[in-house]
Amino acid sequence: MLPSPRAFAAALLIAMAAAVLPAAAQTPQEIVASADKVRNPGQPFRSTDTLTEYISGRPRDQDQLVVYAKEDPGTHQFRNLVRYVEPPRDAGKIALFDKHDLWFYDPSSQASVRISPQQRLIGQASIGDVLTVNFVVDYATTLLGDETITDADRQRRLCWHLDLKAVTDTAIYNRIEYWVERGSFQPVKAKFYSDSGRLLKILYYREYREQLGAVRPSEAVIIDAVDSSLVTTIQFGNLQFRDIPEAWFQRDYLPRLRAE
Amino acid sequence: MKTSPALRAGEVAAKRWARGGGRVGRRLRAIAITFTLGASHLGLSRFAGEVLCALIVFSIPAIAADEDQDLNLIPPAAQAPAPAILPVPTSNAAQRNYVEDAFTVTPLRNDLLVPYPPPTPASWEDRLFLDSRDEWKLGNNVTLDYSGRFNLRAANDVPFPSHESVRNDLRELFLGWQPNDSTWIDLGRVNVKSGVAVGYNPTDFFRTRAVVEPLTADPTILREDRLGTLMVLAQHVWTGGSITAAFAPRVTLPTAIYTNTDLPSFDPMLDRTNAQDRFLLKGSASIANGFSPELLLYHAGDQTQIGTNLTVSIGQQTIAYVEWAGGEQASLIANALAYGRETGTLPRQAPPVIPTNTTQYFQNDLAAGFSYTPVDTKLTLNLEYHYHEVGFTPEDWRNWFNAGVQRGNIPGVAAELWYIRSYAQDQQEPETRNSAFLRADWVDAFVTDLEITALANINVQDGSGLIQATANYYLSRAWTIGAQATLTFGGRRSEFGSLPQAGGFLVQVVRYL
Repeated sequence: MLPSPRAFAAALLIAMAAAVLPAAAQTPQEIVASADKVRNPGQPFRSTDTLTEYISGRPRDQDQLVVYAKEDPGTHQFRNLVRYVEPPRDAGKIALFDKHDLWFYDPSSQASVRISPQQRLIGQASIGDVLTVNFVVDYATTLLGDETITDADRQRRLCWHLDLKAVTDTAIYNRIEYWVERGSFQPVKAKFYSDSGRLLKILYYREYREQLGAVRPSEAVIIDAVDSSLVTTIQFGNLQFRDIPEAWFQRDYLPRLRAE
Repeated sequence: MKTSPALRAGEVAAKRWARGGGRVGRRLRAIAITFTLGASHLGLSRFAGEVLCALIVFSIPAIAADEDQDLNLIPPAAQAPAPAILPVPTSNAAQRNYVEDAFTVTPLRNDLLVPYPPPTPASWEDRLFLDSRDEWKLGNNVTLDYSGRFNLRAANDVPFPSHESVRNDLRELFLGWQPNDSTWIDLGRVNVKSGVAVGYNPTDFFRTRAVVEPLTADPTILREDRLGTLMVLAQHVWTGGSITAAFAPRVTLPTAIYTNTDLPSFDPMLDRTNAQDRFLLKGSASIANGFSPELLLYHAGDQTQIGTNLTVSIGQQTIAYVEWAGGEQASLIANALAYGRETGTLPRQAPPVIPTNTTQYFQNDLAAGFSYTPVDTKLTLNLEYHYHEVGFTPEDWRNWFNAGVQRGNIPGVAAELWYIRSYAQDQQEPETRNSAFLRADWVDAFVTDLEITALANINVQDGSGLIQATANYYLSRAWTIGAQATLTFGGRRSEFGSLPQAGGFLVQVVRYL
């Protein structure tokens, strides 16, 4: 016997509610926190990041940075030390990012200059893009819905579409639109906005592979939204867990940080 | 007909997808509305239909076609992982070598109120130099550091080749030992720099006499080519703090201020850095979130100074900073004349050409300012006020010009007057008591890889000043080309309007090795 239309409708309602329940089980902040864990390991580590700059479709230059990252047990945000390796004119420059303590050391002048959070955004692929950051610490998240988008490896991915608004003054960007794949929590795409609401950059995570004990993105593609002829790829290479002493995260240590 | 919230939600969502999802979104919206209408034909209440519609709308993912269009912005060359277009560097990152050629033309004033004594500043100069920094590991936790610049120099008043035209500046050469993870001991010629301001650093005590021959008025560049001091230095860092102690012994007697025509070729010039015993103790500690003041104690000869460096971040765009030092000193004029007599440049018994107070009393040095980075720009501005209590007061300037005008033709008077100002330059200290400093740095100005830097140093007492603009274009990872224009302005009775150099033009080419 066929079910009555009302029973059918009720069953359909229940089925549909069940279909959306997995999304409801994860709060937007939990989704972002899980995505943070995909991007960032819990232990201190170092990586060698290679930035390739494309102008009007052609590779123009390649920079290399070594990043040391360690999570602050108090704030759960990462502190970062960045040492420039390439190009030669920047070799040996060091930047420290620890909450409000941002310093830039130039071995030529042997001077450390304190920089503002805004200065993290200077440069096409700014220093802010190579930093290890837990978004969940600096942003409040709203779930906009589900979307299927194509990732940078041309795969279709069913994603949570999230809207992140900065809630701390240490957040690098004022607002982020964020696409995280349902189920795997792998970040797929992000759009970064300035304080004035201007779209600054579009970022794709790609080349997921086993690194530091989990499957993580090994490359990011950054499109300059202000001048879309500028594209930068960042390869996160040579990742290694590394003990990083607390004393490293201060201005006076910067001249002492050596190449390894 | 009044529309229920659920239907409105469904339609709003569907419309949003229609906007965001293009054709696919519009099709979804049509399906959602059709389903709502169809539900009533099945005998369901309109409410149940609307709920179903909303559930469908929220449970069926949007197909974000517009989002996918962003992928078209990725050029084909960047579709795959980037190839290494550069060899992965294997060298020590502490190593940096480059060759630079800088050609300078300096227009000179010929209507000076106070005539400039010979030798006249060069009106053109070309410098070719090899700048090197390197570090070698000698063993467990022991390193050898070298930093220097080898110069070949041609100018209209310097014969080539001669001992003035070939010069090596030995900036640093020291052994470093790291007995444990947080302690370092350095022995040799070491460059110790302090300070948080940009235009003037009162706490940078080892700056005196250390800049050999500047190519620019930009203080940030001046710091790049200055001599270190022979010393033993110990530093210890811990979580949230550090302490540094340095002792620099006297190894020579003080010498006269160098001129263009008596620069030595291969001389470490220890007389510039180690002519008296000097001691520095400085420490910093994190006492609040992002607030780590630094305190300094410095002793040189028979003078002691204390100092502090403070910085604070204000919002997203601003850093405010204060750098202060103080100690018992005589005036700039008295110090200069005493040094000139001690080193034989001025006659020992010569009376001062302008009146000054030779008494030592507590004098303050201050640089206070802020940096500001406007939103959505790659521009950083620094504005600073400098207070140098021992510097020229307006009365000192009047005395200086009056003496030059009234007695400048008497042998030795003009030379003594200009010696006072040369002494201030040699000591890297402001000539005047009150001044303002503005610096603007614009990365990717107009085009990618063009960096423009402009600075102004203004004597707020007489309104004269120096303006300098520099443009550097990073042609490639190895090549940089640059140009620089400098202008001094002000009346004939002003600090900058009385200088023999009216300005300058410089072009440079840099090749990183």
